Amino acid sequence: MNGHPQLEARGVTVRFGGLTAVDDVSAAFAAGELAGIIGPNGAGKTTFFNALSGVQQPTSGELFAHGQRLTGAKPHQYAAHGIARTFQTPRVFGQLSVAANIDFGLQFAGLHRKSSWLLKDEDSILHLIGLSDQAGLPAAAITPSQQRLLEIGMALATRPKLLLLDEVAAGLTEAEVEAMAQLIRRLRDELDLTVIWIEHAVTTLLRHVERVLVLHQGRKIADGAPSEVIRNPEVVEAYLGDEMTEAA
Amino acid sequence: MSLGSWFELIASGLITGGIYALVGLGLNLQYGLMRILNIAHGEFLMVGAFLTWMAHETLGLHPLLMVPVSFALLMGVGMVVHRLTFRRLAATSPDLDVFEARGLMVAFGLMFLVQNFAQAVWGGDLRGYEFWTDPVRLGSAQFAGNKLLLLLLSLAFSVGLIVLLRLTLLGKGVRALMQSPTGAQLVGIDTQRLHPLMFGVGLGLSGVAGCLLSMAYTISPSMGEPYTVTALIVITLGGFGSMGGALAGGLALGVIEALGMHFTNPSLKSLLSYVVFIGVLLWKPNGLFNRR
Amino acid sequence: MSTLPATRWERLVYRVRTFLLDTEHLGRDLLVLVALAGWALALPHYGSEFVVSMALTCLMYIALATSWTLFCGTTRYLSLATAAFFGLGAYVSALFIDSWGWLAVIGAGAGIASLVAVLMGSAVLHLRGTYFAVLTFGMTELIRHAIAYWEKQVTGTVGRVLTVVPERDTVYLTMLGLAVLAVAVSIVVRRTRFGLGLMGIGADEQRAQTLGVNTRVAKIGGFALTAAFAGAVGAAMSVRWTYIDPATVFNPFIGFQTVLIALIGGVATLWGPLIAAIVFSLLAESLRLQAPQLYLMTLGLLLILSVLYLPGGLASLRWSTLRQWRDDTQAWWKELREPKSRKAANTVQGTRA
Repeated sequence: MNGHPQLEARGVTVRFGGLTAVDDVSAAFAAGELAGIIGPNGAGKTTFFNALSGVQQPTSGELFAHGQRLTGAKPHQYAAHGIARTFQTPRVFGQLSVAANIDFGLQFAGLHRKSSWLLKDEDSILHLIGLSDQAGLPAAAITPSQQRLLEIGMALATRPKLLLLDEVAAGLTEAEVEAMAQLIRRLRDELDLTVIWIEHAVTTLLRHVERVLVLHQGRKIADGAPSEVIRNPEVVEAYLGDEMTEAA
Repeated sequence: MSLGSWFELIASGLITGGIYALVGLGLNLQYGLMRILNIAHGEFLMVGAFLTWMAHETLGLHPLLMVPVSFALLMGVGMVVHRLTFRRLAATSPDLDVFEARGLMVAFGLMFLVQNFAQAVWGGDLRGYEFWTDPVRLGSAQFAGNKLLLLLLSLAFSVGLIVLLRLTLLGKGVRALMQSPTGAQLVGIDTQRLHPLMFGVGLGLSGVAGCLLSMAYTISPSMGEPYTVTALIVITLGGFGSMGGALAGGLALGVIEALGMHFTNPSLKSLLSYVVFIGVLLWKPNGLFNRR
Repeated sequence: MSTLPATRWERLVYRVRTFLLDTEHLGRDLLVLVALAGWALALPHYGSEFVVSMALTCLMYIALATSWTLFCGTTRYLSLATAAFFGLGAYVSALFIDSWGWLAVIGAGAGIASLVAVLMGSAVLHLRGTYFAVLTFGMTELIRHAIAYWEKQVTGTVGRVLTVVPERDTVYLTMLGLAVLAVAVSIVVRRTRFGLGLMGIGADEQRAQTLGVNTRVAKIGGFALTAAFAGAVGAAMSVRWTYIDPATVFNPFIGFQTVLIALIGGVATLWGPLIAAIVFSLLAESLRLQAPQLYLMTLGLLLILSVLYLPGGLASLRWSTLRQWRDDTQAWWKELREPKSRKAANTVQGTRA
C-alpha cells in the first residue's frame, strides 16, 4: 500500500449526447472501506460504476487506482488492477457450469494476481459464496438469487482488491437481503477488500456500510457516515422523506 | 463544360439516384422497423423487372400497367415470405442481436433461392425491350423519354411513401414502432399486422424499381446484387430508419456516381461506391444525416 | 499468502504446463483425426481422377469451414471475408510461384492474408454482429474491385496465367495437410485460454472484458488465424485453375458457401462443419455440372430451413429435436383446422424490433 487511495475518481462526468448521466463526481475510496452509493432512479449510479470499471469512458474527469492513472483504459486493464464488478442483472455464462463460470475469472484477470488462500481455486471460491453444491449445474439452471451469488463469485475469481457491487440485493426477501449484507461484510473482512455497494434497499445498506454517497441527477449531494447523511435536507428532499425517516 | 452538359450529367445522376432511393427506402423500412437486413432485396427488384418484361413480351401488356401490378405482386410475396420465415425467427430468437444475425442468414438463403430460380426459369442472357426511347428536349439538354419517366415515377413513389408515413394514421403507427417498439405496443398498435405489411411494402417498392428499370435498361438474373449493395450504401448514408435520409442519400449517391464516373475512370465506379460505403460505416455508423 | 508463481520463469513454466485447460476427449478427438487423415492419405492411390478431384474440394471446404468456425463460430462475429483472403492467397501464388518454392508460396499466402486481416480487423472488429458481417462483405468486394482496377490500369492484363504447376499429388497432400492442421488447431485451441476467451466474447463480450479478457487482441488474433488458413488454401487451390482472375478467386460465393457449411453443420461444434463440408462438397460436385441452379437453390433453402428450425446446425440434432418437430407439426396442423384458438393467444405476444 503506498498511501494512495484504492480508487479515486476526480470530476468524472459522463455525457450521452444531450443527457448528462454523471455530473462532476469526485470520490476517493481507501483500502478496506465498505461504502454504499444510493440515489433515486436515474441518478447515474450504474453509469458511475461503468466509469469506475472501464466499461464506459468518462467524457471528462480522471480515474486513479493506487495513484496510477487509469482514465481511458480498457475494462480488462481495470480488472488487471484489481477492480472487479458485478452487473445489475446477473450476466453469467449460461451454457457453462457454475464451476466453469468461476474458473473464467481465474484464467484471465485472476491469473497473475496475488491473493489470499481463500481465493486459491474454484472450489474455495464456491465454498466462500455458498454454491459448492451447485458446482456442476449449468449456470442457466440455478435460481436467480443463486445467480446473484455466482455473479459475486465470478468477480471474486479475478482476485480483486476492490469490488463494485451493483444492486446485488434487488428482488430478494428481507431475510435474503440480510444474509447478502452479512456475506458482503464477511468478504470485506476476510479478503481485505474495498467494497462499494449500490443498493435500492436503503435501510439494509445504511445498517451495514461505514460510509454512504448519495447521487441525485448525476451529482453527488452527500458523502459521509450514514447517520449524518440521512439527516441531510437535500437527501431527504431527493427521496421525498419516506425511506429516510424510516431509517432514522 | 457547358451548362447544358452539366444539367445532363446531374440529371442522369438523379435518374439513377431515383432508383437508388426507391430500393433504399424499401430496405430502410425493413431494417429500421423490423431489424431485418434483407440482403436479398435486389433479387426481388430483379423479379419485378423480369415479370414486367415477361408481361410485355408474352402478354403484350403495357409496362406502365405493370407498375402497380408489380407493386401488388411483390407486396404479396413479401407478406408471404415474412409469415413463413421472419415471423418464426422473431418468436424463437432469444435477443435482438441473434435475431438480426439469423435474419441476415435467412436473407442470404433467399438470395440464393430467388436468384437461381430466376436463372433456371429465364436463363442467364440479357433481356430488354423498347419503350419510349424517343428523346425529349429540355432547354439545351436531351434525355431519353423512358429515363425521364423513370425519374418522375420513382420520385412519385418515394415521396408518396414518405407522405404516407407522415400523414396517415398507419404511417404514424409505423413511425411510432420504429422509435419505440414497446411503447407502440402499449398504446395498442398491432405489430403482428404491421410487420408483414411493411415488409411487403418494402419488397413492393423494390419490385416497382425493377419494373421501372426494365423500361430503360437491359436486365439479367444477376442484376440484383449490385442494387442490394447500393441500397445498403444508401441507408448507411442516410441513417438507418430515416426515410428522408434514404431519399436524399439515394439521389446524392446517384449524382456522386455520375460525377465521379465522368471526371475519373468509369471503371472506378464500383470501387468508389465500396470505398464510400466502408468509409461511412466506419466513420459514422448511424448515418451522415442522423443527429444521434 | 500467495500460492501463485512469482518469478517470470515460473510464470512461463506454469503457462506451458497449463496450456491445455481441459484434456477431456482430447485423445479421442486426435485419434479420429488421425484415422480420417490416414484414410484420406491413401485415397489418391486407388481413387479415380474424379474421386480425387472431389476429395480435393472436400478438403478445401473442410479447411475453410473449420478455420472459419474457430473464430466466427465462437465469437459470433460472422465474417464474410473468406473470399478476400482466399483470393489474396491465390494471387500471391500466381505471382510468385515461378520465383519461390511451393511451400514458400503457401506460407506467403497465409502471411499476406493474416496481415490484411489484422489491418481489417483493427478497423472493423469493434463493431457488432450485422455491421461486422456487412462490412467484411464490403471489404471483400472492395479488394476484388481494387485488384481488378489495378490490373486494368497498371498491368494491362486481366488475370494471371500459372505456368509452373506442381503435380496433382503434391497439391492433394498440401490440401490434406492444411485440412488436418485446421482441425488439429481447432481441437487444441478450444482447450486453451485463447479459446476460452473467444467463447467468452461470443457469450457476453462486455462481461468477458470485465473479467480480464483483452477482447481486442483476442478478436484480431482469431480473425488473423482464420485468414491465414483461407490464404493458404487459396494459394494451394490456385494451381487447379491454370488461369485466375479477380472474378474467380474473389468470388463471394466461396465465402457464402463456407459460412453456409459452418452454419448448417453447427457453429459451436468441431465435427459439425467437417461433416457438412464433406456432404456439401459431394453435393456440389455431383450437381454442379448438370444443374448448378438446382444446387444453389437447394443450398439457399437448406440455409433458411436450418436457421429457422435447427439454429445449432446438424450437430445439435437430437432425438428430442425430432420429437419437438413432430409436436410442432401436429400443433400447426391442428391450428389450421381450428383457427379460433389462435385469436385468444395472440393479444400481448411480444415481437421483434
